[in-house]
Amino acid sequence: MIDKEQVLFEIEDLKKDFEDIQVLKGISTKIYKGEVVVIIGPSGSGKSTFLRSLNLLEHPTGGRITFEGRDITDPSTDINLYRQKIGMVFQHFNLFPHKTILENLTLAPIKVLGKKREDAEKLGREMLARVGLEEKADAYPSQLSGGQKQRVAIVRSLCMEPDVILFDEPTSALDPEMVGEVLEVMKELAHQGMTMIVVTHEMGFAREVGTRVMFVDEGLIKEENTPEEFFGNPSNPRLQDFLAKVL
Amino acid sequence: MGLKEKFILNFIEDSRWKYITEGLGTTFIVTIFAIILGVALGFLIAVVRSTADKTEGHKGIVLRFLDLICRVYLTVIRGTPAMIQLLIMYYIIFTSPNVSKRVVAILTFGFNSAAYVAEIIRSGIMSIDNGQFEAGRSLGMNYVQTMIYIITPQAFRNILPALANEFITLLKETSICGYIALTDITHGANVIRSQTYEPMLPLLGAALIYLTVVSVMSMGVTRLERRLRNDR
Repeated sequence: MIDKEQVLFEIEDLKKDFEDIQVLKGISTKIYKGEVVVIIGPSGSGKSTFLRSLNLLEHPTGGRITFEGRDITDPSTDINLYRQKIGMVFQHFNLFPHKTILENLTLAPIKVLGKKREDAEKLGREMLARVGLEEKADAYPSQLSGGQKQRVAIVRSLCMEPDVILFDEPTSALDPEMVGEVLEVMKELAHQGMTMIVVTHEMGFAREVGTRVMFVDEGLIKEENTPEEFFGNPSNPRLQDFLAKVL
Repeated sequence: MGLKEKFILNFIEDSRWKYITEGLGTTFIVTIFAIILGVALGFLIAVVRSTADKTEGHKGIVLRFLDLICRVYLTVIRGTPAMIQLLIMYYIIFTSPNVSKRVVAILTFGFNSAAYVAEIIRSGIMSIDNGQFEAGRSLGMNYVQTMIYIITPQAFRNILPALANEFITLLKETSICGYIALTDITHGANVIRSQTYEPMLPLLGAALIYLTVVSVMSMGVTRLERRLRNDR
């Protein structure tokens, strides 16, 4: 499923400073179509900042990010065009509370992609049905559980038909009994071949669904490998230490 | 003189009720157009101010300049009494007798209200979680779309009570129109008083009219709030 011919992201020496703290100290990697890259690391390691840099929610202070052949860190790039193709799922869902579930799903397709309302709603309902929430179309986000909200948030990003989806700790704000339903949807997506970059603490998901696992620590990628090698045979001492604590 | 005679003297004789109706019309027109001007201008100021607040690090020179102008505007308008502003507008800025007094009043109260409305709207925009903004942007919406479809509707719901309060204050503040000899309700009532030497009925009548209008406005807002709350 991984297409080594098709590079989605090419990240070169990515750096990010906040005031005088350097959070990212030069990250370089490539992300190929069809990959499920799972990023793990201790809190404050820069993994979320790295993820948020990929759609420029954080503006890098150094280095380059190329997405589908276009340097998106170049100020002349219209980032809105590329964000359409880069879905994002947040830790706190960030659904629009003043809109119904269906409106949450159709807003951007209508306003950004210029879809017809009927077409957007049809797609929205189909997508909702796939995550078992078709009866919630006319509900408001406040009427949903955390797990349902996150499933809707995933569907919202899918309705833009993106080429890749970024997940920023998608299960960290959920009650434990709701983590499973969200991971299930993500697993399903992975099986359908969606390219995913996931920051998470769910080691089971990383091992089972990830095609590559990345250990980010102190603003650098300290180790990246297949899940088997990554968990079975970690070489970096910081990673060994980290895994000993979380596993 | 009984109450009935007083009523006839103050409101019926010489068609004195016309002072009240004419004044009511002026009060309404000045208030409504001042609200429109105040909200439009206040919204623009609020967007400039909150964009400047939200932009971290390097702000463009244009944004910084606009922000400075808005800050000065807010300081001056909020730091001086509306009555002085009205007198300045009438005696210094619009010295031509061809300019309608109503227009002078609308501009004064509109510019005045804009300063307060701007701060109310800004507080509403800043009260919305940044995640809402990021969600909009990450879906490919640009800054303006995100503001229009996501931030403003939520901010509006949060600031509705404060905004209604400002409109009520504005309505009552127009009672200083008499200082430029513009007949609003207050001035109309005062003219009747000066003609009949009977202060009670004209002044209590004017007070009752203000109270009624404010009550109707409050009821409308309560209703709107309830409707918006159902959307949650």
